[in-house]
Amino acid sequence: MSCSVRLDGVTLDYYIYSVRAQSLRNAVFNMAVGGKLYKDQGDITVVRALENISFNLEEGDRLALIGHNGSGKTTLLKVIAGIYLPARGRVDVQGEMTSMIALGAGLDMDATGLQNIRKMGAMRMIPAKAIDARMGAIVEFSGLGDFVRLPMKTYSQGMMARLMFACATEFEADVLVLDEWLAAGDADFMAKAMERMHGFVDRAKIVVMGTHNFALAQQVCNKVCVMDSGRVTYFGPTEGWVAGGGGLKMAEA
Amino acid sequence: MDAVEGAVRDIIDGFRLTPLWSRLGWEQTVARFRRTILGPFWLTANLLAISFALAFVFGALSGAGYRSTFPMIIGGVLAWNMIGGVLSEASSVFIVSAGLMHTMKLPLSFHVLLMMHRAFINFLAQLIAFWVVLALLRLGALPTWHILFSLPLVLANMTLMSLIVAIPSTRFRDINQTVLFLTQILFFLTPIFWAPATAAKSLQLVARYSPIAHLLELIRQPLLGHAPALLSWEWGFATLFAQLAIVIVMLALFRKRVVFWL
Repeated sequence: MSCSVRLDGVTLDYYIYSVRAQSLRNAVFNMAVGGKLYKDQGDITVVRALENISFNLEEGDRLALIGHNGSGKTTLLKVIAGIYLPARGRVDVQGEMTSMIALGAGLDMDATGLQNIRKMGAMRMIPAKAIDARMGAIVEFSGLGDFVRLPMKTYSQGMMARLMFACATEFEADVLVLDEWLAAGDADFMAKAMERMHGFVDRAKIVVMGTHNFALAQQVCNKVCVMDSGRVTYFGPTEGWVAGGGGLKMAEA
Repeated sequence: MDAVEGAVRDIIDGFRLTPLWSRLGWEQTVARFRRTILGPFWLTANLLAISFALAFVFGALSGAGYRSTFPMIIGGVLAWNMIGGVLSEASSVFIVSAGLMHTMKLPLSFHVLLMMHRAFINFLAQLIAFWVVLALLRLGALPTWHILFSLPLVLANMTLMSLIVAIPSTRFRDINQTVLFLTQILFFLTPIFWAPATAAKSLQLVARYSPIAHLLELIRQPLLGHAPALLSWEWGFATLFAQLAIVIVMLALFRKRVVFWL
């Protein structure tokens, strides 16, 4: 099946509700004065997190989202993953998708690693038999050994990242969305992860990853999307970005 | 029209994910009793403790024989544990699911269905205890066939009610608190441990016009071997359609916003 990710003029506003705005009393009081104060006071702060973003990803594309903290990378990943619905514009994803946005999200910290592998599989509606059949491969790739029998709360960030990545990539989806948490793994694991992501291109999968690691972006991704305050400042092949000195500029800034 | 279509799709998608929430519901129920010795028996402890305590107090107050009121009371508590339990959990359903909502694309109805599934497992465990206790006391009665239709009707009503409660209480955290204490008041204003027939006029009015009272009877009466009153069926269906309309409007208006309210 062919897969693609298309964004067309996506704009997303973030509504931030202060503690005051979340109280009914304030809403009622402000209604009495016409509701204007309510907005003027800035109780609901509207942040334009994404502004008019359009791009297409085709089969085999691996996109690195690069930008400063708060530039909108994670928000864009969440929009692609369908967690945030854009205020304007269209998001069209063809193909089955796996999103791993936050480290440890959706995991049961009291359950063991093995139980969590089953859980992550279940969340993606993979039959129990299929999960058990791949269990060995997942444990092996994660490199956790006997630690998979311990509760997740004893894991370090890096161990959690290993388990999540192993699980996310063993049951291949057409579109994989990853945020920067991958960097919690050690060098040895990063090398393994890169190798596995390279394999995706042969099977025409799409990867979208948010990262601050420019080396990783250059080695794994064929496209780069640089973001700055919710806008795309560069979108194109990795070579163009490197040639333009983008990587260096970003590193210095 | 687009928004209404999205609202309907949200509900349909929720049902399409039945394999997922049914599996998660079981897992979460099991996880609750991890490292407890009595395990699933804790599900029934509340029913038995409250029923015996209420029967003791109510019997002493009214002078009515313990055997004549106990089935009504335990049936009432059984039904209430589901209805009241769902109501008090509903206001925080999205807040509890925040982690999941921030990491996975799921329809809003999914989280409510997941909670309803847990409540249903709870209900089934308590139902077994209800039958066992009544059989031991030789007060048992065979349920009537009405339960096959009335229980799904109540579950559907509670699912919609949960969505109606959950959406505004995610936005305004005051509602969250209000619902909790309203649920406590409803416990007394619902004929759980008092019978409308022998109650004062004002209480009879409450029992007649409270939709919660009718939902309660729709579960309790068939379990005690009686057919529910026609009035209860009418209320059950009326609230179902009214709530469905409200849910669709709410989802159409606020579906995209809820995740930002967390």
